Amino acid sequence: MKAAAIVLMALIPAAALVAQSAEEIITRMEQNQVHDTSRMEGRLIINDRFGSRTSSFISHARGADDALIEFTSAGERGQKVLRTRDEVYLFYPDAAELIRLQGAALRDSMLGSDVSYEDMTGNRALLDNYRVRLTGEETVAGRPTFRVELEARSRNVAYPRQTIWVDRELFVMRRAEQFSANGRLLKEVEVKETMEVSGLTFPARMVIRDVLKRNSSTEFVIDTAEVNISLPRNIFSLESLRW
Amino acid sequence: MKFLVRLAAKNLWRYGRRTLITAAAIALGLATYVLLDSMLVGADEESVRNLIWYETGSARIMHPDYWDERDRAPLRHVIEDPQSVLDAVRSRDVAATPRTTFSGELIVWRDPFPEDGSLLVHVTAIDPETDGRVYRFDQWISDGRPLQEGEPGVILGSWLAEDLGAEVGYPLIISARSRYGARVTIDAEVVGILNSPNPVINRGGIFLPLDIADLYLDMEGAVTQIDLRFADYARVEAPIAELEELPALRDLSIADWRLLGADYIAMMEADSVGSGIILFLVFIIAAVGVSNTMLMTIFERTREIGMMRALGMDDRAIRNLFLIEASGIGLIGAAAGVALGALGNIPMVRVGIDYSAMFRTMDAGYRSTGVLYGAWVPSTFVIAALMGIVLAVIVALVPTRRALRMNIPRALRQQ
Repeated sequence: MKAAAIVLMALIPAAALVAQSAEEIITRMEQNQVHDTSRMEGRLIINDRFGSRTSSFISHARGADDALIEFTSAGERGQKVLRTRDEVYLFYPDAAELIRLQGAALRDSMLGSDVSYEDMTGNRALLDNYRVRLTGEETVAGRPTFRVELEARSRNVAYPRQTIWVDRELFVMRRAEQFSANGRLLKEVEVKETMEVSGLTFPARMVIRDVLKRNSSTEFVIDTAEVNISLPRNIFSLESLRW
Repeated sequence: MKFLVRLAAKNLWRYGRRTLITAAAIALGLATYVLLDSMLVGADEESVRNLIWYETGSARIMHPDYWDERDRAPLRHVIEDPQSVLDAVRSRDVAATPRTTFSGELIVWRDPFPEDGSLLVHVTAIDPETDGRVYRFDQWISDGRPLQEGEPGVILGSWLAEDLGAEVGYPLIISARSRYGARVTIDAEVVGILNSPNPVINRGGIFLPLDIADLYLDMEGAVTQIDLRFADYARVEAPIAELEELPALRDLSIADWRLLGADYIAMMEADSVGSGIILFLVFIIAAVGVSNTMLMTIFERTREIGMMRALGMDDRAIRNLFLIEASGIGLIGAAAGVALGALGNIPMVRVGIDYSAMFRTMDAGYRSTGVLYGAWVPSTFVIAALMGIVLAVIVALVPTRRALRMNIPRALRQQ
């Protein structure tokens, strides 16, 4: 009887692990991180061989598809990036020019960061794009996490494989790795800090590394955030870029 | 008239030094014109040849929607069944090779490269077995060897390799999107450096075996283009019309080298205006030199004109005499100019002029990497000779008429 109790005790963590399916973990993480609407102010700190530079921005977002980012730092003031479900547009105030990014231009990095414009497209819910599998628990930056492997459901997903470490308690991403179709690690994301707003916890400071480009990293910092707020109508339209 | 011709010939001989100087001015202007025209025509001929031999082929078969998006090298508009197209085209004795062009990022890392870096590029995947039927790369591999099927090897243009610090054996990564949009990376090794006569290829050429691209890009046998080479590589209208009748090409389109090399053709057309202006300026300089010498020649002989008129020679005969003399000078100058131009053109055609230092740093649009050769253009020699004679006569006309309008005593007093 005593032995049975010991076995039962030993099985409890595994049972907890199984109780949380990979789908549930990803769903809870996305509930935290993808907001109906949001307004955030933050900074991009880009470190490369030329040194470190900071660009500040204000972003508005609606769900996983729509986002409008306006840069406010002196060098890029007024530049805007509009992301809709499948497309990315740029607006340069000096030229009063609106550009739809296509093809190779989508591979350009945003302001020289480790984030390309194509990274901003196609952000449908992860479960729509990937089959997910819980492969264990690991400690990341001192936090217990679920390790979830994602495998693309179709051939038209940008990153055919991903691994995401999700905080066991807060259900926020702690780390992510994105791979090419042939298994080469392309990008690493490390979440350094999180933020809680209106009961939702999401990354507030994360470091993104394009592994193919050595000696560079981009820190993405959110200073203030409001979620589930009302946004102006048509904010995610092309007209809004010319405001 | 016979008398006038004899007198003109005597005058030309009598004023030998003057005749020589005037004829030399004409000869120099015409020789410059001939040589400049030879160089411009030679550069155009070589550029067209290098465009077709290394860049476009005679023509290209592709999906009808590919052309509008060619700058992005999309993989969604492809030829699904290239083999049936190749079989159909080859049945008409046309050399053909399949290729896939895709855009991507070339990534190199320090050690062995001098530093880390990345570059947005267009990569051309070629069939190592058949590409040589259309293009002429193999003889220009300056280092390493040609591509082989089944190996992830890369051939780089020599200037690109130099800029990257690449050598044979260096590893690199090509990051791209598959046909369906997934991120793919191709780990490859530089197996050859290509130093072709086409600067576009040397500056940005990146070649990969087609089967490797097919595997990594999920092409499932499809290609973006089939490149063709006709027996007469530049004459394309008739063979294209014949190929368009083939059922296998019904849903595809064919673009000839003029369309594929439209940037060069546009440059060449704009350049021909510039060349025309340069030739016109050369002509003006020659004309000014000739007219100045002819003016001096006739003004110096105003007293002689007055004397001839005083002795009873009529004005028409005097004018004809001077025009015959002018045409004689023009003929001597034209003959010397054409001969000088022809002599100067021999080394230009055989040896050429080396512009490699200039073309390495500057994209002049010409598809030539260095030595520009001249060309024999018979029409230019004929035009130059006629131009020399006509020009000499025209510029002699005005001062002769002016001298004939003077009264005889005034003409006799002229110093």
